[in-house]
Amino acid sequence: MTWTRRKFGTVAGAAGLAALSARAARSQANGRVVVIGGGIGGATVAKYLAASAATLDVTLIEPKQRYTTCFFSNFYLAGLRSLESLTHGYESLAQQYGIKVIHDTAAAIDPVAKTVKLAGGANLDYDRAVVAPGIAFKFGAIEGYDEAAAQIIPHAWNAGPQTKLLRQQLESMEDGGIFVIVAPPNPFRCPPGPYERACLVAYYFKQFKRRSKILILDAKDSFFEQDLFQDAWSRHYPGMIEWLPGQFTGGVKSVDLKTRTVKTAGETFNASVANIIPPQVAGELAQRAGLADQSGWCPIDPMTFESKLQAGIHVVGDAISGGEMPKSAFATNSQAKICAFAIAAALTGREQAAPHLFNTCFTILAPNDAVTDSITFKPVAGSIKINDIFISQVGESDELRRQGARQADGWYAAFTHDVFG
Amino acid sequence: MTSKSRHAASAWSIRQIVTLWIAAGLLVLLADRSIAANDNQGAQLAAMCTSCHRLDGRDKGIPSTAGLDKERLAGAMMAFKSGQRSSQIMHAVALSFSDGEIAALAEYLAAQPTGTKQR
Repeated sequence: MTWTRRKFGTVAGAAGLAALSARAARSQANGRVVVIGGGIGGATVAKYLAASAATLDVTLIEPKQRYTTCFFSNFYLAGLRSLESLTHGYESLAQQYGIKVIHDTAAAIDPVAKTVKLAGGANLDYDRAVVAPGIAFKFGAIEGYDEAAAQIIPHAWNAGPQTKLLRQQLESMEDGGIFVIVAPPNPFRCPPGPYERACLVAYYFKQFKRRSKILILDAKDSFFEQDLFQDAWSRHYPGMIEWLPGQFTGGVKSVDLKTRTVKTAGETFNASVANIIPPQVAGELAQRAGLADQSGWCPIDPMTFESKLQAGIHVVGDAISGGEMPKSAFATNSQAKICAFAIAAALTGREQAAPHLFNTCFTILAPNDAVTDSITFKPVAGSIKINDIFISQVGESDELRRQGARQADGWYAAFTHDVFG
Repeated sequence: MTSKSRHAASAWSIRQIVTLWIAAGLLVLLADRSIAANDNQGAQLAAMCTSCHRLDGRDKGIPSTAGLDKERLAGAMMAFKSGQRSSQIMHAVALSFSDGEIAALAEYLAAQPTGTKQR
């Protein structure tokens, strides 16, 4: 009996132990992830890693104490939102999710030793690194427009001081002035952004500077949701917005800061206020860390967002070669979640579900008139392809557009909570 | 009954118990893994929802999914998928999910208590 009992106990114990060790294996699985960049991509990866794989050691590196969203910053330019309402801190990520938030700059990444060197001197070891550097501007592509010039003629394509500068200039502009927007070539951050900016600045002019006009000098011959924008311009802002395609102007060649003149191949335009949105490439760290190819963007595996150039480093957001996926905050958030689940799978053995990539943008034509695009994507042969696409149509009911505007407001609150809350 | 036969009978029944325990242990393990796997898939699919919907009951313009049972959630997704309920965004999202994914998602969302942390 003693023998049988002992055997009974051992076997039962083994079964129990097996159950325990399965749990122990999960809870002891450990890994260090260093996420560089506290914008939408970096903050989302960090949060979803920390929330879904509690045993991972997640560090977020971001020099700024607070992040101002580029999306919805056109509302601020129109005087419809404060910059403060678009600004978010990292307290929740640190306190609720246990993410180590370090306010410093990543100076270098060593992909062989797997360390990130911070400008402050510290070295951080990682099992996986995530780089979410956003965009950098190709200063010099337009003669006379460099980083210093942006302090006089803002690009306002990173939100914060640049957006504030543009708003100040628009506020002090005399009625009857011309606001020139120079729109960039593809690919660039936020495809509807320059044209939404025209809408919302026109909305501001319509109330306070009715004789003022907006001129868009585009590098392109067509743009995203063009029919929806041109319909909105004629309905809401008749005679106020003129768009000149690249084939008409030959492209913007140079800018004179003193006279605020913008020269195209054929003509010179005098601006009262100018906003030059330069051509773009992946953020500077991506270039230095060897994550970008000749295109200036970072090739990635769309199943995991691991770099195709540097093993163990993942890239998400505006910096990637995203195939058919646009550069938007929503797309970035979607990529960041897939990236987080892929890293959790690699480090903890937890299974990764089939990835779903999605983008929707609420585009504001007027405060009570918003349109949306809803696009699902799928990884195909190492790139990202459109699966299904639905876009608002010209001629939709006012009620549907009002509903879109209400949803846009709710979306901003829920989305920023998803990223920073 | 001899002592030997008592012993044999008792040993047999203990062997049965042992077998049952092992089987039960395995079942527990398998069930645990299967629930964890479904929960894991549901959590990853739900991450797509949280870009617009809050799971904690708070909402502003876009309804929270909190407090809805799985039949109602799955029914809504199927209605968005077929176009019976109109919403451009939800139609696109629902079309990208298989019926199995909708079931896993609905089960996960329905199990989230109001006020839960997002996952």
